[in-house]
Amino acid sequence: MPRDPKYDILFEPIQIGPKTLKNRFYQVPHCIGAGSEKPGMQAYHRGMKAEGGWAACCTEYCSIHPESDDTSRVSARIWDEGDVRNLAAMCDRLHEFGALAGIELWYGGPHAPCMETRATPRGPSQVASDFELNIFPRYMDKDDIDTVQQMYVDAALRAREAGFDIIYVYGAHAYLPFQFLSPYYNRRSDEYGGSFENRARFWRESLIKVREAVGDDCAIASRFAVDHLLGPASIEVGEDGVRFVEHCDDVVDLWDFTVGDIAEWGQNAGPSRFFEENHEAPYTKQVKLGNHTNKPVVGVGRITNPDTMVAIIKSGQYDIIGAARPSISDPFLPQKIDEGRLDDIRECIGCNQCISRWEIGGPPMVCTQNATAGEEYRRGWHPEKFHPAANREKGVLVIGAGPAGMECAMVLGKRDFSAVHLVEGSQEIGGCVNWISKLGHSDGKENLFRGSARGLGEWQRIVNYRQIQLGKLKNVEVHLGSSLSVEQVLEYGAEIVIVATGCHFATDGLNAATHAPIEGADATLDWQLTPDEVVAGAKAIGKRVLVLENEAYFMGVSVAQKLAGEGHEVHIVTQAADIAKYMDYTLEAPMLHRDLHRLGVKVHPQTMLEKIEPGVCHAYNIWDPSHKDRFEVDSVVLCTARISDDQIYRELKSDRARLEAEGIEAVYVIGDAAAPRMIVDSIFDGHRLAREIDSPHPEMPLPFIRERRLWGNSGNGDYRAQLLNTADVAVV
Amino acid sequence: MAGVLVVAEARRGELREVSLELITAARQVKSAAGGRLAVALIDADAPAHAAALAADGVDEVLTVSSPAPHFEAHIAARALSALIEAERPALVLLGHTIDAMGFGPAVAARGRLGFASDVVALDWDDGPLVRRGAYGDKLLDELEFPERACTLLMLRPGSFTPATPAAGTGGAVRAVELPGLLDDARSEHLGFREVQAGDVDITKADFLLSIGRGIADRDNIPRFEELAERLGATLSVSRPIVDAGWMPSARQVGQSGKTVKPRLYLAFGISGAVQHLAGMRTAETIIAVNTDPEAPIFGVAHYGAVADMFELADVLEAKFA
Amino acid sequence: MKIVVAVKSVAALDDEFELSSDASAVDPDYLEWDLNEWDGFSLEAALELREAAGEGEVVALTVGAQDAEEALLNCLAKGADRGVRIWDDALEGADPLAVATVLAAAVEREAPDLVLCGVQSSDAVNGATGIALAGLLDLAHVAVVRSLDYDPATATATVERELEGGLVELLSVRLPALLTIQTGINQPRYATLRAIKQAREKPLAVEDLAALGLSEADLATAAGSRRRALAIPDRGDGAEMLGGSVEQMAERIAELVKERTG
Repeated sequence: MPRDPKYDILFEPIQIGPKTLKNRFYQVPHCIGAGSEKPGMQAYHRGMKAEGGWAACCTEYCSIHPESDDTSRVSARIWDEGDVRNLAAMCDRLHEFGALAGIELWYGGPHAPCMETRATPRGPSQVASDFELNIFPRYMDKDDIDTVQQMYVDAALRAREAGFDIIYVYGAHAYLPFQFLSPYYNRRSDEYGGSFENRARFWRESLIKVREAVGDDCAIASRFAVDHLLGPASIEVGEDGVRFVEHCDDVVDLWDFTVGDIAEWGQNAGPSRFFEENHEAPYTKQVKLGNHTNKPVVGVGRITNPDTMVAIIKSGQYDIIGAARPSISDPFLPQKIDEGRLDDIRECIGCNQCISRWEIGGPPMVCTQNATAGEEYRRGWHPEKFHPAANREKGVLVIGAGPAGMECAMVLGKRDFSAVHLVEGSQEIGGCVNWISKLGHSDGKENLFRGSARGLGEWQRIVNYRQIQLGKLKNVEVHLGSSLSVEQVLEYGAEIVIVATGCHFATDGLNAATHAPIEGADATLDWQLTPDEVVAGAKAIGKRVLVLENEAYFMGVSVAQKLAGEGHEVHIVTQAADIAKYMDYTLEAPMLHRDLHRLGVKVHPQTMLEKIEPGVCHAYNIWDPSHKDRFEVDSVVLCTARISDDQIYRELKSDRARLEAEGIEAVYVIGDAAAPRMIVDSIFDGHRLAREIDSPHPEMPLPFIRERRLWGNSGNGDYRAQLLNTADVAVV
Repeated sequence: MAGVLVVAEARRGELREVSLELITAARQVKSAAGGRLAVALIDADAPAHAAALAADGVDEVLTVSSPAPHFEAHIAARALSALIEAERPALVLLGHTIDAMGFGPAVAARGRLGFASDVVALDWDDGPLVRRGAYGDKLLDELEFPERACTLLMLRPGSFTPATPAAGTGGAVRAVELPGLLDDARSEHLGFREVQAGDVDITKADFLLSIGRGIADRDNIPRFEELAERLGATLSVSRPIVDAGWMPSARQVGQSGKTVKPRLYLAFGISGAVQHLAGMRTAETIIAVNTDPEAPIFGVAHYGAVADMFELADVLEAKFA
Repeated sequence: MKIVVAVKSVAALDDEFELSSDASAVDPDYLEWDLNEWDGFSLEAALELREAAGEGEVVALTVGAQDAEEALLNCLAKGADRGVRIWDDALEGADPLAVATVLAAAVEREAPDLVLCGVQSSDAVNGATGIALAGLLDLAHVAVVRSLDYDPATATATVERELEGGLVELLSVRLPALLTIQTGINQPRYATLRAIKQAREKPLAVEDLAALGLSEADLATAAGSRRRALAIPDRGDGAEMLGGSVEQMAERIAELVKERTG
């Protein structure tokens, strides 16, 4: 299909310094857990986007010197020739597909604790970091300033050598250049502190020095948080924000705007439950619209909708559409728009699972929507290419159309299986996503800070995308309202049976903290509920509610938000140090806490229930169980253990002879039915099984490439040899 | 054979408006078809409506008193066949209605007449020339009827403006006697059933918020009930929602539901099947929200938004605190 | 009890399509074939009647080219006992009356107790073939049936006819009869993989006009219309599409709501 002309503007090239971007799709710097020490992952993840049509792809934050070390979080590094060689792999791959390569030169100052290098970070003033471990920097005198600026220059020279086209001096997320600019960090009284010009001096000088070193060959970019969101205490867009842009406009070829800092960078990488698409616009649009720049501007805001992209450029908000998460979710977004295949676009759902793995520090990235994110090199998976399965003449029955089942059936379909039946007992496809996506609302009012609890509605895109893809696959049939008994499964005529029947919440209070039920817990009673029952709304819920959250992610707190928003008095009890631990990693925690506080929800961490009675819950402090507490409540919501619904799997497995007689060659179990987990992992589980369904033992994941030092001489061939299933490896 | 024979419709004592639309269509081709326009009504109480049918341009109204108390397909078929034989029109016009679907094609098939149904435009070029939708209205089919002395067409209701009914004075009315009609009956009427009374009458609402297949799940309906309430709208639905048993048919907008003409019709997740559009296309202002930019509803809507209905509904609701 | 279910394999048009070089038809490359949605319901109705009777035969009958075989196999997989496909190149582009004439010859041969058709097909939407068929066979008929109860003792079907405006008429008709079935009457069943495989072993006869004792001339006599042209409709102005983000769209809609409902 030809491109709809209304999207032509997105494909117009644009000049940035000495370089040209071939279109307006730009992957801004973002973390993936690869850095310079997993060059294969780095090159192939970025390369996938270039193949998909993105005009430029950038590294994550790239340390210019061992003094900028964020371990265990993974940054890239460009300290030496070895790093040059490793990052050159990324540049080469991007260039192969006609994309520009960008590197975000980073010096973190006190925000980077140097746990690996054990160096001492420097900063403009001895002000402790407001992020994580409150590290102190060493005060930078003039010599230190020269030294650090030289680090930028040396890094830029190495970057050019590696083949980078766009070189950033990175000051967004409150890293070093921004620390000089902002009085929140900068208490100096010399020519690098005090007045605006003084505070801007370090950043401007760094830009000039880098420009002098490589500016003829490379585009000089700067990532700048136009508003720190701290009011007059720091940079405000209407004041120093636009002033800084004007001040450095002449030495920058490309502006990359964000808001906020690193301490709460969820204001920039806004999760969908609190931030809508293009949520940074109120701040970032002021620069171009206020005529404060003559240079091209790229910006972000979890922009997924092509029509929004067009509107952004036409309205003069940005010149270039920046994306991190939308490019992870669909590396082929530009190509799909170009080919008029809008319904094939896999839209980002804003869950921030990708970010969470970097926040945890160490694990490779993941993506709920795109199971191949992070697997491009180590497993050779391509999001748009699927090798026909060697056993594709076998009929496959997938039981359960939740995230795992849908994904598995879809990939099997794309692998040219002759007949895949995805059979779902309820009348809808989508499984748990259908009710989970209804959570995340509270009372719809403005939060104390920006945004409001707008719900998890975008998570429904998990279902939308797969429903459309399954509908297009002629070899896949989706049966709804069809609940199969074991007998029906045995007689179905499938050679391969995949059980994806999900899980249910424990009703007796069985939990991860004590590994035992709770006395008096019984969600079959009408005044006790499991989270799904809260959403279903069939049980009346009394005024005072206690939510027991032993699950460390969004479920318990989302239920609390909903009930508090509807006017209930809510207490959340958790044995953990704090509620919703995983939401720290997804950057959803600060807004969640603000919402819960605003709603008057009472949070009781490090507390566990020992007995539930009508009207009263008895609790104790986990550090001293004799320290008791009681909560007088009308209803109790038990967000405790989940239990796999795997009965059909066990029954099928129990009679091998029968399976053989019916011609069933294999029975697998995936997703929550195998082990309750996060949606991102269920989708991955279904995807992996389908990708490896024709390997000798599909149940056991095939080895993947581990990018590690091999003792003695080693080359890339040694890494490729780690993969057993080279048939499905499109790119390695 | 010459002239036009219009077959009017009545039900439970009321003349149906499509009858007047057929007269308008007939007038368009009357002279080309041979000059004469007759309107027939086969009904238990046909004479009662005769006067209204004698609109401008109608030369004669033919009443056939049906022996059955209500519409009976086989009686209607036999009566129409007899009328065609007697009057020898070049063109027979029926509405593409549920009743007509029950006998029109049978008459055309037995009589080896020219035939087309769900016709939206009528012309004449040495015989009738019609247009109807193809592939669900994605294309238009232009049909002709060579070597047919008589052609029977079923016209889509709403495609022609209703002629003004006659004031009730003058216009020739003739009762046509067809003995033995009762013997032709092959079905027995057992009763009518209204959809549950006591529910809302969506035909009376000024502002309808309508939801369709895009709602995907019964559990999503309360969200839109709430939105409707917030906006001051009455909730209506398209056919799939009723088919699934999620809402009573009293709420259904469409050919087999209600025809509505509110001041404002706000549609979420409705693609615009012809049968649905039939029920609402005359609303004064139509706003449609659908993720599919090619959805047919955008062809009749005044304003369209290509967006996810749930996201938009949430944002919209917040503006009506 | 013998039930003939007349089904149609319908074409869904891709979003992007082209007409054939002489603009007389859609280029077949852009067509996707499926069992007509209404026929899934009428087949289900037939299967349920056979199950209630504990005996009987359900025959799936279609007029269609090779593309239609899939739909017929689908019916066999769901439980029809036998399939019959009739085709002749002369049937290309046949109108409802021509199709009904061909079906009539086949149905007459079967001499069933009941003939079920869908109210209409989703591609042509004529809503006429079933009742035209009834006319040719001189069978008692009811169109647009939304519920069906059969009493074998009296060979009487009590049905509900779905009328405009949410009204429903209850009536009875004695078999042999032909009913056109409306969607929503039941929950059509799915076929298992085994049934799909086994469908290929069920009898499926493919016949041409001559086998039914019909000639091309018969078709010409029967045809109700002839296509003069196929055209892409003029969309007119269409809707004013609201642009921008969801937030901006909602803002505009809110304005419109406030304006229009004062």
